[in-house]
Parts: sequence; C-alpha cells; structure tokens
Amino acid sequence: MKKRKPILSSIYMWIVLAFFYLPIFYVVFFSFNESKSLSNFTGFSTKWYEAMFENRSIMEAILTTVTIAVIATSVSTVVGTVTAIGMSKSKKVVREAITQTNNLPMLNPDIVTAIGFMLFFTSLRISTGYVTMLLAHIAFCIPYVILSIMPRLRRLDPNMAEAAMDLGCTPWQAMWKVIIPQIKGGIIAGALVAFSMSFDDFVISLFTTGPGISNISIYVYSNVKRVNPTINALSAIIVYVVTFILILVNVIPMIRDKRKGKKYETLTEVH
Amino acid sequence: MKHLQKFTKAALISTMAIGMTACSSKNTAATETVDAQEKYGCNSINVYNAGEYIDLDMISAFEKQYNARVNYDTFDSNETMYTKLLGGSSYDVIVPSDYMIERMISEDMLQPLNKDQQTNEADYDPAVLKMRDAYDPDGKYSVPYFWGSVGLVYDKTKVSEDDVKKEGWNVLKDTKYKGNLYYYDSQRDGFMVAFKALGYSMNTENQDEIQAAYNWLREMNDTMEPAYVTDEVIDGMVNSTKGIAIMYSGDAAYVLNENENMAWYKPDQGTNVWTDSMVVPKNAGCPALANEFINFMASYDAQMANSKAVGYTSVRKDVEEEMTAKDGDFYGNDAYTVRENGSKDEVFHYNEKLTKALSDLWNKVKVQ
Amino acid sequence: MIIVPMLMIVLYAFTVQGNDVLTFQFTLNNFIRFFSDSIFPTVLWRSLTMAFFTTIICIFVGYPMAFAMAKLKPRSQAIMVLLVTLPMWINMLVRTYAWKGILSNVAVSSEIAVYVGMVYNFLPFMILQIYTSLSKIDENLLIASHDLGANDTQTFLRVTLPLSLSGVVSGITLVFLPAVSSFFIPKLLGGGQYVLIGNLIEDYFISTGDWNFGSAISLIMAIIILISMYVTKKLDKEPREVAD
Repeated sequence: MKKRKPILSSIYMWIVLAFFYLPIFYVVFFSFNESKSLSNFTGFSTKWYEAMFENRSIMEAILTTVTIAVIATSVSTVVGTVTAIGMSKSKKVVREAITQTNNLPMLNPDIVTAIGFMLFFTSLRISTGYVTMLLAHIAFCIPYVILSIMPRLRRLDPNMAEAAMDLGCTPWQAMWKVIIPQIKGGIIAGALVAFSMSFDDFVISLFTTGPGISNISIYVYSNVKRVNPTINALSAIIVYVVTFILILVNVIPMIRDKRKGKKYETLTEVH
Repeated sequence: MKHLQKFTKAALISTMAIGMTACSSKNTAATETVDAQEKYGCNSINVYNAGEYIDLDMISAFEKQYNARVNYDTFDSNETMYTKLLGGSSYDVIVPSDYMIERMISEDMLQPLNKDQQTNEADYDPAVLKMRDAYDPDGKYSVPYFWGSVGLVYDKTKVSEDDVKKEGWNVLKDTKYKGNLYYYDSQRDGFMVAFKALGYSMNTENQDEIQAAYNWLREMNDTMEPAYVTDEVIDGMVNSTKGIAIMYSGDAAYVLNENENMAWYKPDQGTNVWTDSMVVPKNAGCPALANEFINFMASYDAQMANSKAVGYTSVRKDVEEEMTAKDGDFYGNDAYTVRENGSKDEVFHYNEKLTKALSDLWNKVKVQ
Repeated sequence: MIIVPMLMIVLYAFTVQGNDVLTFQFTLNNFIRFFSDSIFPTVLWRSLTMAFFTTIICIFVGYPMAFAMAKLKPRSQAIMVLLVTLPMWINMLVRTYAWKGILSNVAVSSEIAVYVGMVYNFLPFMILQIYTSLSKIDENLLIASHDLGANDTQTFLRVTLPLSLSGVVSGITLVFLPAVSSFFIPKLLGGGQYVLIGNLIEDYFISTGDWNFGSAISLIMAIIILISMYVTKKLDKEPREVAD
C-alpha cells in the first residue's frame, strides 16, 4: 500500500512543478531572442542582457529592490516572530483582537494601503524616499509573517516551554532553544512569503518612494508598453540567481556531511 | 601608388574614428560643456516622464554636457503622476499631457519658465505652438515635447478600406467586424470617440449629448464584443491579432513600421489632438538647470533621437520634415503627421465634474 | 504603522471631498452611492465569486502537492519549498504576459485563461501554508492511529486533515483576500471584459481622483471579506477539540 503512493505523488509533484515553470522557461527562452517579439523566436542573442547591464535605471532599481526586500524580510521576520510568540502567550481575547488587526492590512487592495501610507508620511511631513519605502515594506510584511507562524504556534505544546524553565532556562533561553526550533518551518515560510511580497510589490512602493528611487516592479510597469525584452533578461537573471541558491542549498549540506563522515572515519580509525 | 593607398587607409580610419567619437558623444556640435554647479548652484535634477518616451542616450548626453546628474523616473499615466505629486515628491521637470497641464496651472502647481533659456522654441512647428494657447495661454509654463492625435489603425487585409473611410468612427459599431476590434480602455478616449461619432464636442457638458454618447457606447459594447485594452493594443496590432483598433498616433506609427498590413485613418468626424509638454513644478529643487534640460530636449539632436526611438511626432519643423522625407524613418507613414487643419479636431480640456460623470458611465458600459 | 493607513481610509470613506485633500464633512453618501447603482454590487459579487473559485482550486490542487512534499526527505523538502517559491519572485507582470503568450497558442476561453493566471499566482501561498502545518504533524500520531486499527484513509480524514486545517485557513487568508482585489491578471488574460472591484477602486483613486468613494468601496469590500473569513475561522475551531 505504501509503495503505491510515492509514484503517484511523485508524478503529481512533477506535473505541478511543470505548471509552475512553464512560463519561466518561456521567459528565459525568449530572453535570448534576437528580435523583440515574444511569440516568434528568430535567433539567439545576448544583446538584451548587455542592454540591461548598461541601463543605469534598471541596475539601480535592482539594487533598491534587493536591499529593501532583504532588510524588510529580516526585520519583519524578527518582529513578526516575537509578536506571534507574545500573542500565543496572551489571553485569548487579546490574541483574537491582534489576529483580526493583523489581517486588516491584507484586506485592503494595494492601492488603498499605498495611499494610506503616502498620506501618513505626508501628514508627518516626512518626504518620501528609500526610508519611507522600506518602512512601508516592513509594515506590510509583518502580517504575512505572523500569519505563517501562528498555525504552528497553536499546536505547540505549551508545557514544553514551562518544563524548560523549570529545568533552569531563562525565558530568553526557553524561547531560543525550545520554541523557535519547533516553529522554524513557520518562520522560514513567513520569511519566504515576506520576501516575495516585498520583491514583487508595485503600488505601495510607487507611492511611498521618492524621486530617483525605483524598484524592479515600478520599472517594469512603466516600460511594458511595447515589448521590452530587457525585462525578460532581467527576469531570466532572477531565475539564474535563485537556481544558483538552490544548488548551494543542495550542495553545501552534502559537503558538510562528507566532512562529518570523514571526521567520523578518522575518529573510528584512531580507536 | 602604395603611398596613396596607405594615405587613403589612414584617412579612412581617422575619419571613422572622428565619426565614431562624434556619434558616441551625440552632442550638438556647437555646444561645449558647462559646469552646472558653477553656473546654477546645483547639479542634480529629478525628471518625471512617461515610460518609454525618450532615447536614454539623450539623458547621458545632457549629463555629460552639464556635468550634472539626472534622476529619471517614469509614470504610466498622467493621473498616477498627479496622485504621486500630492504626496509631496519634488521634481524639476515633468512631462504631462495638455489637459493635465491645464489642471496643474489652475491649481498653481507650476512655475513660469525662463523664456531666455528656451532658445529652441523658435524652430517649433507653429501649429503646435498655436495649440498650446488652448491649455497654456501665451505658453508661459510649458514647452511642447511630442504631439499627436488619436485615430484608427486597421488591417488592410481584413478590413475594407472603404468601410473605414465611409463610416469613420462608426466602423467600430459595424457588426461586420464583431469580435475583431480593440477599444481603448480609457474613459476619456472611449467617450471622445463616441462624442465625435455623433458630431458633438468631446468637452461637452450637455446632458443629452452625454446620454447619447453613453448609448452609443452601450450599443457598441453589446453588439461588437470589443477587447478593452490599453498598451496591449500595440503588440496586438503588430501581430495582427485583431483587425481594427483605436490608437495614439505615435504607437500607430510604430505599428505601421512593424507591420506592413496595417494602415492609419483619422476620421473626418474629428478627433483629439494632443500635446505632451515639459513643465517645471513650483517645488523644483534646481529650476535653472531644469530650464536647461527642457531646452536641451527641444534641440534638433534630442528631438531627432527621441522621435526615432519612440515613434511619436516631433514638435520641431525641421525634424518633422526630415522624418517624412524620402529617406526618413517615417516616410509614407500616415500616422506620423498630425493633421493640421482638421476643423473638428479638438484639444481636451480639464473638467473635474465631467471626468467624474463620465467615469461612472464608462464603468457602466463595460459591466454587462 | 499598520493600522494608520486603515484609519485614514475609514476617514475618507465617511467624508465628502472638499477643496482640500481631506475635509471633515461626514456623510454616508459614498455608501449610498455604492448600493444604489446596481453595477457596483454586481462587480463586487463577481470579484467575490472569482476569488472564491480561485481559492477552491488552489486548495484542491495545493493540498495534494503539500502532502506529497511533506513526505519527502528533509533536504528534498527544503528544495521543493524553494522551487515552489521561486516563481513568485519573477515580477507578476512578466509572469502574466508570459502566460498570455503561451495561452495565445492554445484555444481556451478567456474565463479559463483568467483562472489559470490567478491560480498560478496564488498557488504557492496555499501550498506553503498547508505544507507548513502538515510537516509539523507528529509521526507518532499517525502510527498510533494505525495501531488503533485505522486504515490510511481513515487516518487521513480523522487525524491528518483536521490537524492541517489551520494551515488551510492561513492559505485561504493569503489567497482569497488579495484575489478579491486583484484586477491586473483578469484584465490582461480576460481580454478586458472583466471589470472587477480592484479595477474600480484603483480607477476611482487614481483616474478619477475620488478618494472618498474609492475608500468607501474598499471598506465595503473589507467588511464583506471579514464576514466570510469569520465563517471560515469557525472551521478552525473544531479540530482543536478533536486533538484534545
């Protein structure tokens, strides 16, 4: 019985993955297209990549997007995790209230959140720029982190943390060594979602940024009137970068294991 | 003989070298570099223009000539630009459309230009300067950048030229072409076509006329199965996806150059002629350099490069003539020339009440 | 920071536009306007149904995927998570245009095209959330269930499914909410025939400049979503009793 499942689920996974990557291959494929077309492949060329690197606006936009996404993800993950843990320890009423408030920003269409932030900054006479965009990103990422962590926290055994403290841990240690490892999956999922939301954001970034500061989405939205293959090149590069990360994630543990294995061997030899 | 050959080679190579450096610097031969910081006290400007509306090399050229930095941002619509300005962003040069300039002047958002710095205006097409009085009387605040009109682009192999010429805008309601048309998804342009088809002014406030236009649009929507698009229309027509579309002249010029089956027609019933111009907002950080930038973009070289890159009609007479001449990029391309004596052609005026009313009606048209 | 934008929107919804950016003339006009014209509720309803079906499809496609992922070796799981997340990092515009290109070669109705685009956009969220809660389920519970005589299906229905429900609920939150207000994907893949509530709101805010009405629509939408989420949360209550 158990042997049947793996094959079926494998096939299913591959199908879903194929669905996910079909447009991606399409984009990568056409980033090497000689002509501008998105439907006819006329020849192989790297000219769009060259054009992209020479374009100062795109390069700056990439830098902005990446730095904001990284910082916003880190900060919102930390804040979100702490808040979530705090929430789980609070009384049910408080928890419910915060959960509902947490979901509020997600209820609004981007444009509404965007204008809301813009007005907020304007009323405080803060001129928009990199910092305001960053703050806005952190603010809208936090709810996603909290949302990802809560399910795991809910099913955590409340007694574990108590037990740890009984055994001499400080609350801080209890959090670090007991709770966090157990919700690690939720934290990572939250961080991934936060990063994606930040990386891809357009409307909120548009209205919270200042002159001269752009991000990838803003650039793409303003320059897609006519088919612009430089954007394909840009997207393709994102694909390469992540593939690289994927390979790293795969390879580094293997190297580590091999080293561990060797150490063990030498240890056993000595004995 | 050998000496001659060597000499010719050397001459050729040095000419090429000179040619290449001249081309790569892309500067007007007569100007030399100016240090903006010295002359104007500031050396950085923020420019806000529509997307894909410039040859980026022109920006580098400006930066080199003035030893300055240009922060170049793009917007996708006048309204987005306006909303962003409400947040207090400070730009030195903005390139809005005529009706938006009218609005910004009325709301005291612009500062007058320094006409002494605008030397290139003298070479402008007189028609475009005359049109400017409609939205910027005496041209105090703006210098035109591109201009154009709105018209029909149709596939000669799928749509009868006679039908187009006979029916004008009403060809969009000709059931022969059901399911084969793109309609511009904008309340402004959408209603303009309806108003013109019925013989009314596009700026009318007359309730009966508005109702009639609404009915025209409803009928079109219900019987023709239009595809409502904005920028996707460009790629769509280049690939002959549909037979007929409403398009802006610059985009049309591009399409006509890319797809030889496509033709352009400006209905006799009249259309919207528009201008996008450069202005300097009140809160500009470096107005003097801003004025220089505007004058730079009005020069022969810049207009030539920009018009070539984007396909929109230049505002300078010399560039227009060159582009439509025998070896010009847009020779025989009807969409490039702006019709100058169309008595029924109009400029949009900014009218807040009308915008709101039409907005609601437009949504009603599409939601069925 | 999170609440303030919301508050401003509430303010706008209840006021009328004067000459300044914000005046304090309170009125219910904006809300009355929404309900008095039949197109607005129609559009809202359409958006809700579209979001609903998108969510359902995401659940049915995503759950098996998450389930399969949870059964893999830990290292493979990490890779799969990354593989599933990566498409989200490609700009949504680019992804949707790519689908437009792909689908233009296949004859599908615009309705199907829109759902393909929408599901593609939101599926990773659903998968990740369900996966997170599935992977946390203690192996021992499953073994215990088998020991007590339950077969695979029963174990799934009585143990796995209820325990993973909170993940499903987060997934629904992450998909349904943004789906209701999304308009770009339907616009591009649906040939512009689709006018959704997201279009309307964006339109009123930017093209028309009527922030008050735009905020009102947004509020109404938010309230309706809150109500439906409340109903869904009820589902989440029961599993706790089962686990206890």
